[in-house]
Amino acid sequence: MVSYFRKNYILLITLSVFVALFSAAAQGMSQQDFIITLLRGLAVGSITFLVASGFSLIFGLLDVLNLAHGTLFMIGAYIGWTVFVRPDTFVDLLTPLALIVSGFALRDVYPLLASRIRLGLRMKRILPWALALVSVLILGWILPRYPIAYWDTGNFAQSPVTYAFMASQGTRLPAPLAAFTEISPALGLIGLLLASLVGAFGLSLFASETQSTFRMTWKNFIGFAILLVIGLVGFIFNNALTAFLLGLSSNWLFLVAVIVAMLSGAGLGALMESILIRPLYSRPIYQLMLTLGLSAIGIEMVRAVWGRPEFVMPKPVFFDGTGAGCPATSFADWWANNCSTILLFEGRVRVYNEIFIPLVGLVVLVSIWILLQRTRLGMIIRAGVQDREMVEALGINVRRVFTMVFALGVGLAALGGVLAAPSMGLSNVMGESLFLNALIALAIGGLTNYPGAALGSVLVGLIQQFIIKYGQIGIPIPFTEIIFKPTPPLVPASTVLLMVIILLILPNGLLGKKE
Amino acid sequence: MTQTSISTRTAFFAKHRASLGVLLLLILMPFIVGLFNGASPATVFVNGNGQSKFIQGLAIEIFILALYALSFDLIFGITGMLSFGHSMFFSVGAYLTGIAIKSFGLSLPATLGWLVIAAIIQALLFGMVLPRVKGITFALVTLGIASVFHIVVMSSELGPYTGSDVGLQGVIVPDFISPANERLRFYFIALTVLILVYLLYQRFVNSPTGRVCIAIRENEGRAQMLGYNTFYFKLAALTISSLTAALAGFLHTLYQPIVSPNTAGLGFTVTALLILLIGGVGTLNGALVGAVVFRLLDYGLRRYIGESASFISGAVYVLFVLFIPYGIVGTWRLKSFQIKQGWERLLGLFR
Repeated sequence: MVSYFRKNYILLITLSVFVALFSAAAQGMSQQDFIITLLRGLAVGSITFLVASGFSLIFGLLDVLNLAHGTLFMIGAYIGWTVFVRPDTFVDLLTPLALIVSGFALRDVYPLLASRIRLGLRMKRILPWALALVSVLILGWILPRYPIAYWDTGNFAQSPVTYAFMASQGTRLPAPLAAFTEISPALGLIGLLLASLVGAFGLSLFASETQSTFRMTWKNFIGFAILLVIGLVGFIFNNALTAFLLGLSSNWLFLVAVIVAMLSGAGLGALMESILIRPLYSRPIYQLMLTLGLSAIGIEMVRAVWGRPEFVMPKPVFFDGTGAGCPATSFADWWANNCSTILLFEGRVRVYNEIFIPLVGLVVLVSIWILLQRTRLGMIIRAGVQDREMVEALGINVRRVFTMVFALGVGLAALGGVLAAPSMGLSNVMGESLFLNALIALAIGGLTNYPGAALGSVLVGLIQQFIIKYGQIGIPIPFTEIIFKPTPPLVPASTVLLMVIILLILPNGLLGKKE
Repeated sequence: MTQTSISTRTAFFAKHRASLGVLLLLILMPFIVGLFNGASPATVFVNGNGQSKFIQGLAIEIFILALYALSFDLIFGITGMLSFGHSMFFSVGAYLTGIAIKSFGLSLPATLGWLVIAAIIQALLFGMVLPRVKGITFALVTLGIASVFHIVVMSSELGPYTGSDVGLQGVIVPDFISPANERLRFYFIALTVLILVYLLYQRFVNSPTGRVCIAIRENEGRAQMLGYNTFYFKLAALTISSLTAALAGFLHTLYQPIVSPNTAGLGFTVTALLILLIGGVGTLNGALVGAVVFRLLDYGLRRYIGESASFISGAVYVLFVLFIPYGIVGTWRLKSFQIKQGWERLLGLFR
């Protein structure tokens, strides 16, 4: 016990300083202000935590600083918006996307195929490029002709801004309809599948690994088959699916949007890891640059597809009730009326932003904690964070775990994005500021420490919200008449300063392991 | 005696043929561009040719970027410290110059004097955290310090001095190097500064101190074991880098009509990283080549493609990382070594 105090006295002093500051902050404001600021801080902290935890898992196991994490958070938000506001576009996109990805699901089969092909050295060098080129050409020919009911960023009446506004009013305008005109449907589908297979084979040849101990089983084809079925079903029952999704209540649609955003984020992460980052494990600094470049590309893609103006994502009905009986006075009352706000300690609290999001954050915290502590995968991840080479030496396929963890991390970021969209709104730069927050939170809590990520995120969220609140009410400085009002620039500056101070006192963060 | 001096002189010319050729080309470039545009060298000399002036302007921007990239190469490529706050080194120079001239009416030498003091102070500020944090934590701490500076520059309280988020405007440059009227002179001054700094850097990297810096990049623990106090070497690299970047900022303020707060942000540090990646991390030539390629690529894309230029530049970035990881200069060195070997093998057949 005494030795514990002696070892961690700096940490304990820092934490007690925090507690003191926190209680001092609580004295300066009324109870209802305090509760609301606390809840807001927790909400910001939860969103930050969703980004930070994925980042920290990836950094801990893979040693990759994924600087594109903020961009992936943003992409998650935009995907969620598309599913929620324009389900028809989502259903139309399902088929081509599933077909394009399907080729990559066969990646275990390609090395076998490659080892059967006997070619000269020169041909072996040309072949991957030729295959990739063929694939790109086919895609470039078919994709512009593939019909997708799509918004039009140039036309204001059909822009995402207008659609988002109409959806928040409860109506959904029909998007411009689309149908195959220039090519026949069968040609389009087969062409996409072919392009995907050829392209994936070409890319796998770039990696050129020979797996001698490989056995062909049905397991290698299951992902491919699932994607193929999804693509075909999406194509054949296109109208029925669209009608079904439009008929759902917005609560269920929101759930669908969250799940789709998470899954597509995870898929994007898996693709990124297996294609782009895997060749760079031996050159750490280049991963950093690669992810920076990817981040720029991602932002530009979002700008091209969804346009530059900001727009909102409507809240699901469950959290958006107004009218009779609102604001609710108790949780039972809220359950009956689904009010958007609830009165707690005489303060109005927005249910979605300040109660639902922190709850989701808590659920994610606990479930990932269980995943890390109680499952085999979690055991491998924890062991990998400790000593990667040793885990490899024990005969565990660390590659596959890497891909899984990367997918998980990016999926968490995308989940954060779609959850944050109704409260933050969607913009091209929403990822950057949040990512900076997440980095600061991780540096405060300890870069590879999972509870540290949660602690840091909550601290960052609380400090920012308290400073914003005190910017409105002012801090009376003791023994003087002056009332100090923190200005808006102090909000980011305070967390950054806190990070610098904590890193100088504890170089590994609050909960990070000492080296 | 004369024989040896002549032979050493020819050896010098033979060894530095390429660099001297580039230098000559850079000196003659304004006049050549003028000739292509149908203006005599005399017209160019009195800044009468628009085309030549434009090319000079582009070249000056490249020189400033090259200075900035060189300074980042010294701490990142040579000493191996990844700093995400490097843009602060540049923008402190830029803002201080603007404020000193505009708000305090200082002369250029006095401004330079203050600049040196500020550069050393900020190097010490970064150096203060050096013994505590290493690697990625150092990157985060420097990012933090630089973001605080960015926020301070952007804040409305300092608006009269820094112009907050609009940027610092209306710096009156002394007539004898005003970039509008005396651009050719400015061009040569920038070129001279770049060459001097480059030579200094070359000297530094090849000196015993520079060797220790490279040793720190390769393996810091080992350098410590050999008895070097690595802290002082890192601090020396930081100080030189800070001085150079401040000098680049100084030139930037004199040349540009506006100092944007973006020069203090993370994006500008990324620019330096990008330049080094294109040119080749850890090679001094790479910083120069990278600056040329980066600025021309940026200019061309913005002019002919427009808004979505950063998509292309991001893609170029990714392709460089995947396929030309050592940058242009690094790859060139590898290849030229192979080509030289092959050439000698070929010559050996006839011998």
